[in-house]
Amino acid sequence: MSCDPQRVTALVDEVLEGEEKATIEAHLAGCEACRAQAADEERLRASLRTLEAPEPPFGLEQRVLRRLRGRGRLAGAVRVLLPLAAALVLVLWARGYAPLLAWELSRDHDHCFEMRELPAQVPASQPATVAAWFDERGTPLPELPETVGRLALVGGRYCWLMPDLSRVAHVYYTSDDQQVSVFSVPHAVRIDDHYTTRTKGNAVVLVNLGRSVVGVVGEDAEAVEAFVSRLRTSVAAGEAPESAAASALRPRS
Amino acid sequence: MKNDEAFEAEVLPQLRPLFGMAYRLTGNAHDAEDLVQETMLRAYRAFDSYRPGTNARAWLFTILYRLRTDALRRRGRSPETVELVDDGPPVAPVHEAALTSGHEEITRALEGLPEIFRSAVVLRDVEEFTYAEIASILEVPVGTVMSRIHRGRALLRRALAGRVE
Repeated sequence: MSCDPQRVTALVDEVLEGEEKATIEAHLAGCEACRAQAADEERLRASLRTLEAPEPPFGLEQRVLRRLRGRGRLAGAVRVLLPLAAALVLVLWARGYAPLLAWELSRDHDHCFEMRELPAQVPASQPATVAAWFDERGTPLPELPETVGRLALVGGRYCWLMPDLSRVAHVYYTSDDQQVSVFSVPHAVRIDDHYTTRTKGNAVVLVNLGRSVVGVVGEDAEAVEAFVSRLRTSVAAGEAPESAAASALRPRS
Repeated sequence: MKNDEAFEAEVLPQLRPLFGMAYRLTGNAHDAEDLVQETMLRAYRAFDSYRPGTNARAWLFTILYRLRTDALRRRGRSPETVELVDDGPPVAPVHEAALTSGHEEITRALEGLPEIFRSAVVLRDVEEFTYAEIASILEVPVGTVMSRIHRGRALLRRALAGRVE
């Protein structure tokens, strides 16, 4: 056979077996160049084997362990704290904690208006159409204005509030540069007359209208206040606080 | 959950050889420590999938080498690009003294090898992995391992011969 330097390497590394090994050994017996290669590689291997490993920098093991244990501790803390935080949120939610509700309505306002297309289930500009749609589904709404300032009714949908996935009626108002949401809040929230705050970049007012609590959310506090006064005026003026359809269902006295 | 004690028992003894490999690949202690830290973090995360008592050393070297090639690839430098197809010119027998010369000479010659051959030679001749283990660490066929070790040693012999002559 002719010289096959790669097989000589394999022979040195003792990875050849049987016939292949016998053939290359026979070749080596008669080939000085290949014998020299094998001898060179043996010596090289012996030298490399005695090379000392580069000394790890001082404190490497401690630094590695600190990083791993740090992660472990953090992960452990998160495992304990997350369920605690979730439980706290539910307790506050159940007790009608107003700041939490305000935060959640603000989140939902952004969630809907950040979508490329407003996800209205009832796209309509007539208050009667929107009110009837919610009424049919068991949610009477307070009297809705058609417009407030430049903001006009564009529709509504049911949204889900995160803590307990309760359903809330969400009504949309828009103008060229503003959006306002009106929510009909289904569950008891602890407020006397109203609660005003600014959370997640939005002004939020929760207002007790007697029969129901309404949340109004928008970036512009003045626009939100304008909605609140309009809703209050409607109720105070004795205009039906519920829709006509809901009133019709109640037995007349 | 993860068994931290098992991890420390199986993996920590490999810190020194891992640092050695990382140093020989990167050429400096700073990058070598970063590579080892990252390797340990990955190993820690993946320890659930590791079967205790199997080849921890080969498993760790595989993680380390993959992180190294990923890092090189991100910098637009793949070790694969320097792979040579031919065997190069034949190497004349080297003076015996050259191959048994001091550690410093050999270390310098090793540092001068293209990384693709250096990694194969170090895994075989310094760390004494088998061809099959090296194939799994480098994620290449055994035939490629053989050719890289052969080429690496030939280049080393040539480099060391040049120093003596």
